[in-house]
This record gives sequence, structure tokens and C-alpha cells, in this order.
Amino acid sequence: MATAKKISLSEEELVNALKRQDTIAIKALYDMYSGALFGVISRVIQQTEVAEDVLQETFVKIWNSAGSYDSSKGRLFTWMMNVARNLAIDKLRSKDFKNSNKNQDIENNVDFIDQQKKVSFNADTLGLKEMVTNLKPDFKDVLDMVYFKGYTHVETAEELNLPLGTVKTRVRMAILELRKKFN
Amino acid sequence: MEEVKAYIESGILELYVLGQLTAQECSEVEAMAAKHAEVKAEILAIELAMESYALENAITPSAALEDKIVAQLNPTTTDKIKAEPKIVPLYEGANDGKIKILRFALVACVALLVISIAALISVYNKLNSAHDEIASLSTQRDQFATTVSKLEFNKAGMENRIAMTETNEWATVKLAGVKNSPKANMLVYWNKTNKNILINYAAMDLPKTDQSHEYQLWALVDGKPVSLGVFGDNAKEAVKQMETIEKAQAFAVTIEPMGGSQNPTMEKMVVMGGVTI
Repeated sequence: MATAKKISLSEEELVNALKRQDTIAIKALYDMYSGALFGVISRVIQQTEVAEDVLQETFVKIWNSAGSYDSSKGRLFTWMMNVARNLAIDKLRSKDFKNSNKNQDIENNVDFIDQQKKVSFNADTLGLKEMVTNLKPDFKDVLDMVYFKGYTHVETAEELNLPLGTVKTRVRMAILELRKKFN
Repeated sequence: MEEVKAYIESGILELYVLGQLTAQECSEVEAMAAKHAEVKAEILAIELAMESYALENAITPSAALEDKIVAQLNPTTTDKIKAEPKIVPLYEGANDGKIKILRFALVACVALLVISIAALISVYNKLNSAHDEIASLSTQRDQFATTVSKLEFNKAGMENRIAMTETNEWATVKLAGVKNSPKANMLVYWNKTNKNILINYAAMDLPKTDQSHEYQLWALVDGKPVSLGVFGDNAKEAVKQMETIEKAQAFAVTIEPMGGSQNPTMEKMVVMGGVTI
């Protein structure tokens, strides 16, 4: 199956196939978005095995909740990305995950705590060296906390000791920089 | 226009795309997007930026994961390709209602079955008692029928006796019990003119015979017994005509083997009576 030709559908075709639970949608979803979704999940969860479990849960949830996706409210990827992000954060906060973390060796643990304190991208894992240099650290930190660490924008404001408006502005500025790069 | 620009610049649309807003805030953003094309376009631009960003930073998961996920989402291929992974039912919640209904149906079926069995047993018992009742009624009916036919028989005999006493043609000969059967008695009717002999079951009380014996009527003519025929315990007609005899001094009845005997067996005589006319 893995050797089969990659499938690519237009967003509309994909949404329709997904809504009528056509099995072609599974293959197309996986070929088109598994990497992007796994990238999102991997930013939240560093352990590859756990991240892959979450990716599997994400596909199950996307498949089963396809009926609740409303294309008039946003793009399919935005919806899927938020499903993946939320499942990953749920996993990060779950008892299972916290327990499994206790079994890690000290080196990893230090690294993990370090990452949490610094609230920064793990560039090695993510291959984001170029991206990081393009994004101002102030913007990057806020986007990272809001999107990949499971903080709400209110919590981010408290954590970074910034006014709520500033947090919102920085999120916007971070995304505007991304837009400049991609759009 | 200024208002829309301020709204866009507030950063709320970014938070919307990042899934940071409450359901109520989301509806507000969606209402604004429906009203203002600029808001909608801004949201799309943010979405595309995040999407490109994510695609740019894609990490390919291990190759084995694809088969695992495809198999889990497509149960029909799982059956064919590999039997080992247990399929976790995806719609557990959705079946709860059905299971509940089926459980109720099962309980109802069992209840119905119990009631049916009880009803069947009760009906079976009633049927049995009805059968018993029918049997006892038919026995009773048989008894009545027997009684009625016996009464008819007696009545016919009695009517004949009355008819004979009313004419003077008939002489009645009383036969009384002998030593062996002192209680036995019988009447023999002898027609004075045509010499016919009649016996009447309504006018006899003889000891019972067994299956291989019957009664034989004798006339004593000048000291010699002359057979007048045999008769049984039971007869269809109450009155039976015997052989005619011109003259006789006495009549007697003996019990003889079926079909009668040439000569009377004297020790088996039950009644005897002399002719007085």
C-alpha cells in the first residue's frame, strides 16, 4: 500500500469524499497531509512514538467527525490542524504521558524541562533553522506558546507578563511574517 | 470601513484560525466574515499562511504508520490484509441506543414466552379436564341408554302380559323354584286355542347362566319330557314364542349347554310347575 501512487485531490473533492466516507479520502488525506499534521504534532510532543500515536488518533477523529466539519467556516486543513493540535495538547497533559516521561533518562528530561522553560522551537527536530531566523524571537515565542504549547492567549499574556493586546498583536505580526514568506 | 480594518488588526482573526476562541467568539467572527468580504479574505490568507507553514515543516512519519492508519479507518481491508490487529469499534456510543432497545426487546420476548408457556399449560390442563368430563358424560349417557332400553324392554313385556290377561285365550302356568334355586320363578303362557307357548322376560326370575349355557323349556307329556326350545339370559324381544304343544301335565326349565340337550339334565332344573287347567 505504501508503494502505491500518491493521491492528490482538490480540497472540494477531498471534502466531498470525506463527507460520504469514501475510502479514497483516507489515502488522499494521508498522502497530502500526514507530514504536515505530523509536523504540527511533533512540535507539541517530542517522542516520535507518542507523536505517531497522536497522528493515528488524529486521522481517526478526522474520519469520524467529518460530518461536523463545515467548509463555510474555514479550510479543511485549518480544521484538521486544530484537531491534531488539540489531541497533541490533550496527550501532553494526560496522566499517561506524564507517567511515561518519568521513565526518561535525565539527559532527555533536562532537555525537556529546558525546552518548556525557554519556550523555543527544537530546531533539530523540526528542521526550522531558516524559519527561526526569519521570525523575530518576540513573535516566534508568542506564536509558539499559543499554538504549540497549549497556552491560551490569556495564559500566554500572564506567563510572558505582557498585556493581552500585545500578545494578540504579536500573534498577528508572527503570522503576517509567515504570510509575507508564503503568500 | 475603519471599523472593519480595526477588527482585522485586532488579531482576533489569527486567534480564530488558531482555534483560540470560545464558541461564542467564533460565531461573532463568522458573522463578521459573512458580512464583510475583507474579513473573509483575511481569514483565508491567515489559513493559507498557516497551511503553507505546516506543509513547509512537514515531517514524514514512519512508513508502517500509513498501513496502520488506513487499516484502522477501513475495516474491510483489515480483514483481508492482516487478521492480528484487533479492530476497535469506532461507533461505540452510537450503538448504545440500539443495544438498549435490543435489550428491552429481549426482555419483552422472554416475558412473552413465559406468558405463552403459562397460557399453554393452563389451556392444556383445561383440555385434559374437558376430555375427562366428556368421557364421564358419555359413560353417563351410555348408562342412561342402557337403562332406557331396559325400561322399554320391561314395558313391552308388561304390555304383553296385560294384553294376555285381558283376553281369556291364555292360560298362565306358574313355575316355582326347586330345591337348588328356591327363589327362582317364571310364568309360561299357553294359548288354549292354538296351543302356542309364550314366555315373557318381564315375568321370570331365573339364576344366571354362564357364557356356555342357556335355559331349555320342557313340557312333561305323559311322564316324558318334550323340549319346547331354548332361551338365553338376554333377548331382543321381551316376549318369545316357544314350540307349540297339544297337551302337557307340567312345564320345567333346566340349564343346558348352548344349543340345548336331547334329555333334560334333572339336577340342573331351576323351576317347575304343574298345569292346573
